[in-house]
Amino acid sequence: MAVDAMGGDYAPEEIVKGAVLAAQKDDVEIFLVGTANILEKELAKCKLTNGSSIHVVGASEVIKENESPVDVIRRKPNCSVAIAAKMIKSGEADALLSAGSTAAAAISAIQFIGMVDGVYRPALVGSLGSFAPNTVMVDLGANVDCKPHQFLAFAIAGSVYARKFLNISDPKIALLSTGSEESKGSDAVREAYLLLKNSGLNFVGNIEGSDILNGKANVIVCDGFVGNVLLKFYESIGGYAQVWIEQKLKKYPPLRALVRLLFNRLFPATKISRETEKNGGGILWGVDGIVKIAHGASRAPQIANAIESAKEAVKAGVVENLKSELAKFNQGGNL
Amino acid sequence: MTVEEQVRDIVAKITRVDKSIITRQSTFKEIKADSLDVVQALVAVEETFGIEIPDEEAQKFQNFGDFVSYVESRVAQEEKV
Repeated sequence: MAVDAMGGDYAPEEIVKGAVLAAQKDDVEIFLVGTANILEKELAKCKLTNGSSIHVVGASEVIKENESPVDVIRRKPNCSVAIAAKMIKSGEADALLSAGSTAAAAISAIQFIGMVDGVYRPALVGSLGSFAPNTVMVDLGANVDCKPHQFLAFAIAGSVYARKFLNISDPKIALLSTGSEESKGSDAVREAYLLLKNSGLNFVGNIEGSDILNGKANVIVCDGFVGNVLLKFYESIGGYAQVWIEQKLKKYPPLRALVRLLFNRLFPATKISRETEKNGGGILWGVDGIVKIAHGASRAPQIANAIESAKEAVKAGVVENLKSELAKFNQGGNL
Repeated sequence: MTVEEQVRDIVAKITRVDKSIITRQSTFKEIKADSLDVVQALVAVEETFGIEIPDEEAQKFQNFGDFVSYVESRVAQEEKV
């Protein structure tokens, strides 16, 4: 596992601690990539058990907050996330984890690992969990502006995810739009509708926002701008619902206590964001290797979970599955 | 294959557009190339021709023709050397 130790709100301290946690509980060899002397100091603070396998790989450049992620390719090819990506390409590592800029990780992946044959750009796929456990959404934020053919690739990636991780044999795919009619949506969405309709996939048409949680579709396809806004809104619902109900019950302390108990122990709404934390972010689908993106605010436990989850993705052969699915649709380079 | 044809192939492959629609007058916006497409094209051209394109030069490219003209001049310089 190549870990970008310089990326993330709490890097490198929490990244190093998370890597140590993962190495201690799991059979995984970890390469911490970043400024070598800083990482060695952080590593020295941690208690490593016998048999833990963690190495430091030096990276001579660091991406600063105000730098454009696109600059990674030309100006900083030796920054931590780029070096980690090159380790995937060379076969030194099986997966990459970064809690840094998603764009920088995606750009490094595109340039230094490469995409699966025919795929234009990577996408983030994720399950909606709690309210819609059998629904995945793609793209959750990797592609703000999308070309029509990307929606088809998203649908295929979402289908592989639904089959592999949710055990849905023939996932229903829908395009998120402003109406169910074929004519609704932006130019790209309307063009994508035609591509999906003629794809041979189990495409059930457009759905609207009100259908996201009702199970009409197992795979909801949208561009990364819409997906990211929706995901963050969705993750915030539980917490706000709890606050709102508690305020309404201000005059009834016993009921308020019950609500708190329900929300904290039983009711799943507030667990939406915790589930995401537990999963430790998402995989960049379409890259010819496993690239795991952890939340920027990840602390050691989330980093450890993300490492575990990336390891599971390697074991599950998600890249190989995606390749074989894509091969069926990629005749003529349509993706 | 001319320099222009090679650059056109690179840009078409990266942006996924039909190369027949890329003319010397085409802007990057017209061929729906975003900033990442442009940087990938620059890197690919640099690698193909063994040249370096400084950012300040790349920022002057108004259209595909400007890009090609710059690469043609650099390739000619390299050949002289």
